[in-house]
Amino acid sequence: MTREEVLLDFTSRFNDDIIDYYDKSGSRLYVTIKPESIVGIGTYLFRNMGARFNIASATDLPPNIEILYHFIVEDVNLIISLRVFLDRENPVVDSLAREIEACNWIEREMSELLGITFTGHPDPRRLLLADNWPECVYPLRQDYEEWDESADRTRGI
Amino acid sequence: MSLKLKALLKSPWVFHLSTGSCNNCDIEILDCLTPRFDIERFGMLLAGSIKHADVLLVTGSCNRMSVERMKELWEQVPKPCLVVAVGTCTASRGIFKDSYNCPVPLDKIIPVDVYIPGCPPKPEAIIAGVVKLIEKVGSGND
Repeated sequence: MTREEVLLDFTSRFNDDIIDYYDKSGSRLYVTIKPESIVGIGTYLFRNMGARFNIASATDLPPNIEILYHFIVEDVNLIISLRVFLDRENPVVDSLAREIEACNWIEREMSELLGITFTGHPDPRRLLLADNWPECVYPLRQDYEEWDESADRTRGI
Repeated sequence: MSLKLKALLKSPWVFHLSTGSCNNCDIEILDCLTPRFDIERFGMLLAGSIKHADVLLVTGSCNRMSVERMKELWEQVPKPCLVVAVGTCTASRGIFKDSYNCPVPLDKIIPVDVYIPGCPPKPEAIIAGVVKLIEKVGSGND
């Protein structure tokens, strides 16, 4: 398959789920999709199209939280980034971790650092933060404020 | 100077602990052990276990998770033990001063004997710092 065939197959199959479509360069493609269709599209890319799940990244962009799922189709040297916008007040999205094992840890990390709820995640524990970290405090949110009374923010010496 | 400290300085065994560094300081410490810099001529040797160590070599910015482990190591190390802070992150937390994950600098947690600044410090600087520490402790001015 060539790049054009991959794109045509992808866009015609998921025409209803795609909100926006940005062909950035020969090797990058950004596709904004509806949050409820992420499992269907991600699984199709991974299982049927032979794409490799590279990484997911999340950013707090008020009034939304944005998640980018990066898939690499190595046959045609193409990175397909699925972009999902979630409501910042109630960020809930379906988990891909049941279909793609590699999503497991990155979803745990996104959920503890940005407070995104991944419904159906097989193991929704914390991953990185310390054990005494308070609930419902998300350090990578724009409105994060210091909660630790004992923290020392001077140069010290 | 106590007899224990005097004996320690003949051949200080070093335990290398990274508390969340970017690995550059750790690479420079490993460079010190190579034949080019050859830190073993001062009798220094990397110890595999904290229970064999005389010097605790700390790199990194002391994040919340690793500080708990560092406190446990500090309880296990045979005293007297000298603490060397390698790198800017360990001395003053560098760019991580306001990080949510680095609340307290190293010298507020355990007593530090020598600071070696640099990002990362050159192997020459590390050797100079450690030799100064040995001279200082050896002369009894501690």
